[in-house]
Amino acid sequence: MGFERDGNDPTRMTMRLFILIALAILVAWFAADSARADGSQDGNLRLPPNPVAGQPMSVGAGHEGGGTLYLIGPGQVIRREVKEGGEVQIKGEELRSAGRWVAILKSGGSSSSKVFWVKEGTPESLSFLAHPSRVPVARQGVINGFVFVFDRFHNLILQPTPVNFSLSVGGAGATHTVASRDGLASIDASSAAKEGAAQFVASVGNVSVRRVVQQVASEPCNLRMHVAQRTKDAVIIETDPVRDCSGNAVPDGTIVTFMQTDATGKSMVDARIKKGIAQAQLPLSSDATISVASGVVLGNNELRIGGGR
Amino acid sequence: MKISQVKKIVLGAGFAVLGIAVLLTASAASKPDIVLRVDQASPREVEEPTQRAVLRDYTTAWEAMNVALANNTLSPLNDNFAGFALEALTQRVKDQEASSLKTRIIDHGHKVDAIFYSRDGSAIQLRDTATLETQILDGNTILHSDESQVQYIAIMTGAEARWKVRVLQDVEGR
Repeated sequence: MGFERDGNDPTRMTMRLFILIALAILVAWFAADSARADGSQDGNLRLPPNPVAGQPMSVGAGHEGGGTLYLIGPGQVIRREVKEGGEVQIKGEELRSAGRWVAILKSGGSSSSKVFWVKEGTPESLSFLAHPSRVPVARQGVINGFVFVFDRFHNLILQPTPVNFSLSVGGAGATHTVASRDGLASIDASSAAKEGAAQFVASVGNVSVRRVVQQVASEPCNLRMHVAQRTKDAVIIETDPVRDCSGNAVPDGTIVTFMQTDATGKSMVDARIKKGIAQAQLPLSSDATISVASGVVLGNNELRIGGGR
Repeated sequence: MKISQVKKIVLGAGFAVLGIAVLLTASAASKPDIVLRVDQASPREVEEPTQRAVLRDYTTAWEAMNVALANNTLSPLNDNFAGFALEALTQRVKDQEASSLKTRIIDHGHKVDAIFYSRDGSAIQLRDTATLETQILDGNTILHSDESQVQYIAIMTGAEARWKVRVLQDVEGR
């Protein structure tokens, strides 16, 4: 009976109505907020399924009204006015950034939005780094090259892309194909047996980038020497043309050490290779042994001088 | 309930709302929480000092980007970005300014793997899984808000005294 009386109380009725309205507002607010939070408030926007950077696309506004369309990409924002139910054409050269975009249609006091992805375009530029710029010949895996593959708007191409690496000296060389991963392809190449400026080329389709790696002779090999001249109190020793084991001339300036051992002890002369040979003047001794070395390489002959030899 | 008590409750609620707002603003501009792992890096191992430097500079770069996009200012970008990434972010900030938009990124952290470290030590590539809340604002009105996990591929190169981000690209569906 008390209930009946309370239910008819106009103050209580008003209070209940007020609470119901407040609850309805709260529920509506939470629903709107959660819809906005997960990016699904998109009923008023029509987007293409697979837009690609550098290709035109159209975005449609629904029938809930026109307004201002914003397309917000990683490296740009496109803004357009759109009519109710109309389409906005975006030119290929306008759509430059690949990645995660947000489309927003702002209409009056409300807005709807949608997250969409733009794929990168086709390979049109390469960033190619080669290391080092100067290497000895005939060494395994000594030249490292890596390439980042980009489209024309400098978006990294994340789809696996075959990258050709070629390394050649004087027209002879080798080519390898490496598939890029996460936009990167890298290779460890061996230097050729022949010295010279090696052309290290990375290419994808018609796009290629060239680097020059100077391949130089390795350590001297078969270091030999002979007496070039003998005077009253000195002897001039010179090497044969100094070459590495592949027959490449060791660069001028490389140090060659001549060692003379006799009864008075050991003396050494360092000489630089000049025009392919190294030469040293040593004091004439009555009985001396001369040897030659360059770096860690010892010559494979010794000279004995003095005593009429 | 007395009027003074109501006043106290309203005042308390006001301060609480203000506090939350301050915290949200602070989290948008503070250093993001980034964890860097280097065990997948090849062909060269990432040395300890390089790990520290990359972590420091990648963290600073994200902080700078968040500040730049939230305030439409270019100055934070120049010290932390270079090349294509700097060009893209500069354009984004200019376009936002022209459209009267701002982007607030509430950064909930990154898990970053170094996946490539060049033999000469000049470049490092990172795969970053970031948890971000992104709000796009027109003035103080939020036009769009979403929270998502986004993967990025970043390329950093060594500059004079720091590592700079040269490429920062988000990756779909990984």
